[in-house]
Amino acid sequence: MTAEPLISIRHVTKRFAGVTALSDVSLDVHPGELHAICGENGAGKSTLMKILSGVITDFEGTYQLRGREVWFRGTRDAEQAGVSIIHQELNLVEELSAAGNVFLGRELRSGWGLIDQRAMDRAASELFAQLECRISPRQSVRSLRIGDQQLIEIAKALSLRAEILIMDEPTSALTESEVERLFRVIDRLRQQGVTILYISHKMDEVFRLADRVTVLRDGRWVDTLRREETNPRRITHLMVGREIEETDVSSPRQPGDEILRVEHLSLPWRGHARGWRLQDINFSLRRGEILGIAGLMGAGRTELLESLFGASAERPLGKIFLEGREVNFRHPAEAKAAGLALVTEDRKRLGLFSHLSVGENITLCTLAECCAGGLIRHRLESAQARGIVERLNVKTAGVDASIMSLSGGNQQKAVIGRWLLTRPAVLLLDDPTRGIDVGAKAELYRLMDQLCREGLGIIVTSSELPELLTLCDRILVLCEGRQTGHFLRSEATEQRIMEAATARAVAG
Amino acid sequence: MTVDAAKPARRFSATTESGLALAIVVVLAVTALVDSNHSYWFRPQACATDIVRQTVMLGIFALGSAVVIISGGIDLSTGSMIAFSGTICATVMMVVDPAAMNTGQVGTATIVVAIAAALAVGLLVGSLHAWLITVVGLPAFVATLATLVGLRSLARAIVENVTAEFLGGRSTQIQIFDREFRYLGRTVWISAMLFILLAVLIGILMRYTVVGRHLYALGGNEQAARLSGIHTDRLKWLAYCLSAACASLAGVLAIGEQSVADPQTLGRGYELNAIAAAVVGGCSLQGGVGTVPGTVLGCLFLRAVIDGIAKIIKTGADVHEGWIVGIVVVMAVAFSQWRASGQRGKQFFTGALGSLAIVTLGLIAGTLVTLMADWRAGSATAAVTWVVLICAKIWENRVAVGQRAQGASGEATT
Repeated sequence: MTAEPLISIRHVTKRFAGVTALSDVSLDVHPGELHAICGENGAGKSTLMKILSGVITDFEGTYQLRGREVWFRGTRDAEQAGVSIIHQELNLVEELSAAGNVFLGRELRSGWGLIDQRAMDRAASELFAQLECRISPRQSVRSLRIGDQQLIEIAKALSLRAEILIMDEPTSALTESEVERLFRVIDRLRQQGVTILYISHKMDEVFRLADRVTVLRDGRWVDTLRREETNPRRITHLMVGREIEETDVSSPRQPGDEILRVEHLSLPWRGHARGWRLQDINFSLRRGEILGIAGLMGAGRTELLESLFGASAERPLGKIFLEGREVNFRHPAEAKAAGLALVTEDRKRLGLFSHLSVGENITLCTLAECCAGGLIRHRLESAQARGIVERLNVKTAGVDASIMSLSGGNQQKAVIGRWLLTRPAVLLLDDPTRGIDVGAKAELYRLMDQLCREGLGIIVTSSELPELLTLCDRILVLCEGRQTGHFLRSEATEQRIMEAATARAVAG
Repeated sequence: MTVDAAKPARRFSATTESGLALAIVVVLAVTALVDSNHSYWFRPQACATDIVRQTVMLGIFALGSAVVIISGGIDLSTGSMIAFSGTICATVMMVVDPAAMNTGQVGTATIVVAIAAALAVGLLVGSLHAWLITVVGLPAFVATLATLVGLRSLARAIVENVTAEFLGGRSTQIQIFDREFRYLGRTVWISAMLFILLAVLIGILMRYTVVGRHLYALGGNEQAARLSGIHTDRLKWLAYCLSAACASLAGVLAIGEQSVADPQTLGRGYELNAIAAAVVGGCSLQGGVGTVPGTVLGCLFLRAVIDGIAKIIKTGADVHEGWIVGIVVVMAVAFSQWRASGQRGKQFFTGALGSLAIVTLGLIAGTLVTLMADWRAGSATAAVTWVVLICAKIWENRVAVGQRAQGASGEATT
């Protein structure tokens, strides 16, 4: 390439407590190109983007923008230099209006130094019109769909006259029509000369949009390729680093008796236009069976598992039968006692106790079994923890190590281990492979298969359809709190599930 | 991904406890050397008794505060709870046997009833806190702030009414003449034994029982604790009851020691001392972190510092207690955070705010020295502080710039 690169980073390394997220990454981005960054979860894509956009400010290595070295002290510096990021988890103030969010921190002011609401509304309207979305600038962000919220972030970047726009998995929560609209917006931005860094692991998107593709793996740069020179198969191969070993969970399992049945389950949603987080869900689960729950972000997957577990904020309506008896849990403790276990989606926020050790995290639910005379015997406790560490192959320096020193996959195994110790009859897993590397994923698949064969009933949700298709005997599809599909493994395809998952969104 | 070798299982030499133990020895040694009266050399027993008495009075309710802090809450009501329980104890003795109260011949049975009533009131207040927090949904800060303000004023009203009723004239305090009761409060070894017993029991609770582990889990991550099937509401009830009951016990001992129940002054400001002791002892106000031995040492350290400064400058300790506690807490917490984060190149005096802090710190140092010595020494101290901190600021800045330059050139050569 003859043109001077717009962004040029050299030997960038970033370590978090105990974990090297990025190791010696060098990369050039040329002006006006759409550069896709691919990699598995945990490959370091997001960390790299956070460095480029000034979210992470302390790292090793150099970062040049337009040939000049830059040291951002925060996102504001980056925005002034023309670099904006649209995070996967959107960064909006829900209470504020659409226009208020676009101009957050840079509010337009009238002569007296007061906020000029009308000017902001007008400017926001113009931006929204450019993005072909019909959002009123006065509308509160809370009431908008995720796709529209994302456009507000893009509008914000436009209002900053961003020359470089970083998009972190922008389509993960969008319906098909919203994805199409996003792609049109991206085309228009490129006509205006905006350089885009596009993070994704969806090959069809990457090959539709990108000029060049960079692959990261385990925090290292693997290769940068022109789109014409490569193909999805090769990129996938580079991402994984080896042929994806077929996890052998395909041999047919023999489901036993019904263990869990849900009839007309609904979960009210007070103060929301829809009125229901979940509406009229019906399904059953048998011993030795894995039931998958598919759906887009916000479809109600987590809410469904929480209402089964007695952990939802509101009491669910409808009937839940566990081993033939109707149950009505008011607290997770009751669900736990009845033989349910829930491994939560957001491991850091809802699953881990960061101040406790690996062992203490594992034994938390079953500590009473390590007691004699009412006092904890620490020897029994470590034996219990070590049992799980060995059985699930948790890679740790020891049961006394800090839980935060473990990788995501091993943390997840510790949390699953905590629940296996309670000897559950039904295991609820909410997106268990999120943020976990490929090897650990395969291990988790095998573990689930094995547990299932031992007679456990498992319900698993996932945002990755191929995962559900490999793992599950049956797949239930949710869309905006309703059950819009129910497939046996033999009849399920990605296409059919996606159609069901976006059924109402497309219709509406 | 590479995983660093995990941190070793808490070695004693690397703990807050060992650091505090060392700090206490240093403080005592410095006091012994600098104090011109050499009290520690000539009257060791009296001095030790004094420090133990003060530590015990602080420690009994600091233990309760520590449990609440570890469980992720905060109890601001401690000082008022001490005043309230003391008042209730005296009031019950007065009501049950007014004649004996005046002659100082209160029967043992009456004393037992009064103490039981004071402790029961503690449990009720603790339960009220738990109800306000878990059922009504108030933040712990608000719930206990309300009782902090409310209980003291209620205690004062009770005292005025009771004295008007039984002594014939309104008074703001109830005198206690009974020798048996005063013996209970004034005898150091009794309260010290009580404190040690309490510390051992709560220490066992926190370290060796399921409930204790669950309290740590609750403080570390409340939502995760609930989703792990832990009854978080019951645990909060336990923590707040324990805190209020400890404060009640302290209230009973305090009126015995002072021979009077005066709700205006009794335990005023103690809630912050308790929180300070817990925090100095290694408890994190974010919850989930802290130990009972740490809290005990934190109390001892705080009292040793206060005692030392009082000995050195030869004035009443209570006047200087406030700023000493303030400085000790800020330094202890800043130090532990700085150590935990492992950030070596942290800049403390950057920008305009840093410069303003330099001005303020110099003024504080100057004021303190002026109060202890004279204005000349004070001005000199302020000037020296300013010069030192300005040098620190310049040095910090140069180090930071140097690091960046080094980082950039280092990369250029590779």
